[in-house]
Amino acid sequence: MARPFPYTYISCPCAETPTPDPSAKRTSRDLSSKKNAGQSAASESGEEGDEQAFDPRSPRANFSLYPPEQLLFCEDCHQIKCPRCITEEIVCWYCPNCLFETPSSMVRSEGNRCARNCFTCPVCTAPLAVTTLENTTESHAHQGPWILACGYCMWTTLDIGLKFDKPTNIRIQLSKIYENANGRKASKTVSGLKSSLSTLSSMSEQLPGPDEEGDDGSRNPKEQSQLDHNARFAALKTFYRNQIAETSASPTDPLGSDFGAIFSSPSALNRIMSIYTSSTLGGPYGAAAKKQKSKLPVMREALTASEGLKIPPPDAERFIIERVTSPDCGWDGLASMDQRAFQSPDARFVDDLRPLPVLLRTKRSKRCKSCKHILVKPEFKPQSTRFRIRLIALSYIPLSTLRPLVPSPYPGQLPSSTTSPSISAPSLDALEPSKPIQFLLTLKNHLFDPVNVTLATPSLTPGRVTSKITILCPQFELGANSDVWDEALQNATATADRSSRSGSGFEKVAEAGKVWDKGRNWTTVVLEVVPGTLPGSSPRPTLQLGGKKVHDARETSDKWENTSPLREDEDVIEIPIFVRLEWDSENQMIEQPMGKGQKPETIKRELAYWMVLGAGRIKSEDASL
Amino acid sequence: MPPKATKGEYIETDTGNKISRRSLIHGPQHIILGGKTVIQADAVIRGDLFRLAHSTSSSSSSLGGGGGGKEQSGSAAAAKTASPSPSVAITLGRYSYVSKQVILRPPSRLHRGVHSFYPLKIGDHVFIGERAVVEAASVGNHVHIGKDVVVGSMAILKDFAYVLDGAVVPPGMVVPSWCVVGGAPARIVGELGEGYGVEGADGGLARDRYRMVGR
Ligand SMILES: [Zn+2]
Ligand SMILES: [Zn+2]
Ligand SMILES: [Zn+2]
Ligand SMILES: [Zn+2]
Repeated sequence: MARPFPYTYISCPCAETPTPDPSAKRTSRDLSSKKNAGQSAASESGEEGDEQAFDPRSPRANFSLYPPEQLLFCEDCHQIKCPRCITEEIVCWYCPNCLFETPSSMVRSEGNRCARNCFTCPVCTAPLAVTTLENTTESHAHQGPWILACGYCMWTTLDIGLKFDKPTNIRIQLSKIYENANGRKASKTVSGLKSSLSTLSSMSEQLPGPDEEGDDGSRNPKEQSQLDHNARFAALKTFYRNQIAETSASPTDPLGSDFGAIFSSPSALNRIMSIYTSSTLGGPYGAAAKKQKSKLPVMREALTASEGLKIPPPDAERFIIERVTSPDCGWDGLASMDQRAFQSPDARFVDDLRPLPVLLRTKRSKRCKSCKHILVKPEFKPQSTRFRIRLIALSYIPLSTLRPLVPSPYPGQLPSSTTSPSISAPSLDALEPSKPIQFLLTLKNHLFDPVNVTLATPSLTPGRVTSKITILCPQFELGANSDVWDEALQNATATADRSSRSGSGFEKVAEAGKVWDKGRNWTTVVLEVVPGTLPGSSPRPTLQLGGKKVHDARETSDKWENTSPLREDEDVIEIPIFVRLEWDSENQMIEQPMGKGQKPETIKRELAYWMVLGAGRIKSEDASL
Repeated sequence: MPPKATKGEYIETDTGNKISRRSLIHGPQHIILGGKTVIQADAVIRGDLFRLAHSTSSSSSSLGGGGGGKEQSGSAAAAKTASPSPSVAITLGRYSYVSKQVILRPPSRLHRGVHSFYPLKIGDHVFIGERAVVEAASVGNHVHIGKDVVVGSMAILKDFAYVLDGAVVPPGMVVPSWCVVGGAPARIVGELGEGYGVEGADGGLARDRYRMVGR
């Protein structure tokens, strides 16, 4: 999701562990962070912060920056946890369309899809609705036949000639329709072949003779091509299961039980070993084994359509090509790659597309990857939005909001006046280069202890377009959070308070070293930004491209100079800020709200991380050129 | 006060609703606002499309007969949706925000040859972006609907659903909680973080948004 300005991202500290540091240094740090994960890692990342500033433009940054609401917090590790630092466990499977749960025992057999009436359109992916074919009046007691219809692209199952007798259990009806279609078409040949199945499977010598093949070949392949993909898979599966059963040495061989087991089971290895040993060893055992082996049929491949073999007719390709080129097919008659990705491999045309049962989704609980502590546990029911456990970063780290100082506090969202694009509201999507703009950065504390905050930022934003950043008051305190009820009671007064402040604050001038505004558990400081000038606006025409290119090839670092045109989002001002929090918390439990009594024991806590503020986009002068 | 909108752009009701004078509200007697609801300029809210027994296909004129509609719909055999008072066309919850040029339109369905409207229920803390057209059957709490979105007839957006800008939610689609949908037709493209909707963070800004209106 591209976010509107201003936005906040927080860098998960996990991204710092594999930084390309001198290797010796890194290993030592890895060790130490393993020993006492939390605090030391935090403090070390702090040290590192002094060394090198976080670069939001570096390719790695993409993998560590997250919107704050996506981050979790592990109390044991005392660290922020991003989606990369956690493991997930499925709590339940549910259909996103009917929101019914599918028991985990059923999930596999249903192919991870809803077994009810939920289908998506094979043409456009929109959900299909069950509707009557005839929109009959109430007098008619009997409704239907029923169809599945897409309300988005107007595709219906009538397009592929499908109707349903009942409006319920569509998936069962569908599979029956498919089966019948196969059955009817293949019955003549399959039933004939089925009788010879037992004999066929016994020995491989019964390969269909040349005349027999010719006899079938004219008729059979066409029928086979009609065989449903799933039915063929099932036939193949049973065929190979039978093959395993028949070719395995003893009827009690566990291999015959499941098809998958043969390849993974250690008993398969035993069987192979027994073959070797029996043949090499003499004696009665060996002889007996040999005798038995000679009797056993050799495993073979599927030979007939009933076994799942499919021989494409020799003219199949030509047939498809002819159809593709025919005027009544055209571009619209062909299934797109996206459509075919979820269909049977044979589906080439729009008429081959079948409605798709809706894929299930999951609710998942989340654990810390390093200490296995549970961080998120949602309520079991699919429709519930509650959590049994939810340790989100926002209840530990302060919530930061940024807004431009002078005009309306919500610029992108609601310039509530429609007619006047007033001068007062500078669009954050077009900041004037070199023209200083002041922002209010508010941090709101969610801990029940007061927190000391230290902010640090490079004076110039990294990258080619350097904007000047000054935090007028980089050190301040956040008051403790209090109970929800207190907050609710104070809310009305607080807002009134705030409004009066901002009213008077309009004439207020930001001063260095002074906090702009302060509330019970929040503090606002001023951040001054001088947007940089974009490259290429003036110097570009003067450059000789050819000569410069050679230069670039020699020195890659030079590429970052003024030569290349503006890259994507290079005109966005992203301010890296190193946030360091220090507070005294009660022993062990940080988050117990019962900490109102006297504090018997306190621990110094510390947390540090990089935060990136997206302040706005620098106005391009090229636009006028 | 910062130089702001023309004074008195909004009508503030007893329950704190802020309604732009330039919004177009049809059939207000069929609309329920939960309080502290914001309706911006040029938003169109079609309270006049409430349920009648017989074809209401051409009833764009706001018919004041709420009682009459009740009687007639009582005679209709297919009173499937259990709405206590059928004359309510649109419900908007607390702190919900309707941006400029939004169109809210009760969903409709052709049932047994009769075209009838169903109520549009929108929950609390819902944000509806500019120029969006919403014809859903229900929109849960804390739902975000981006700008230029079209939510098709009878769609259901569960609590904490998130519709990306420009998406077209097809008719009848269900968007589960915490799911992000986008594209045309919309499909599930992601999930929201667990912190979404926390007061003051993304998804939890409804109160702030309300406060800023008309100041
Ligand atoms: Zn991480
Ligand atoms: Zn379903
Ligand atoms: Zn479709
Ligand atoms: Zn942990």
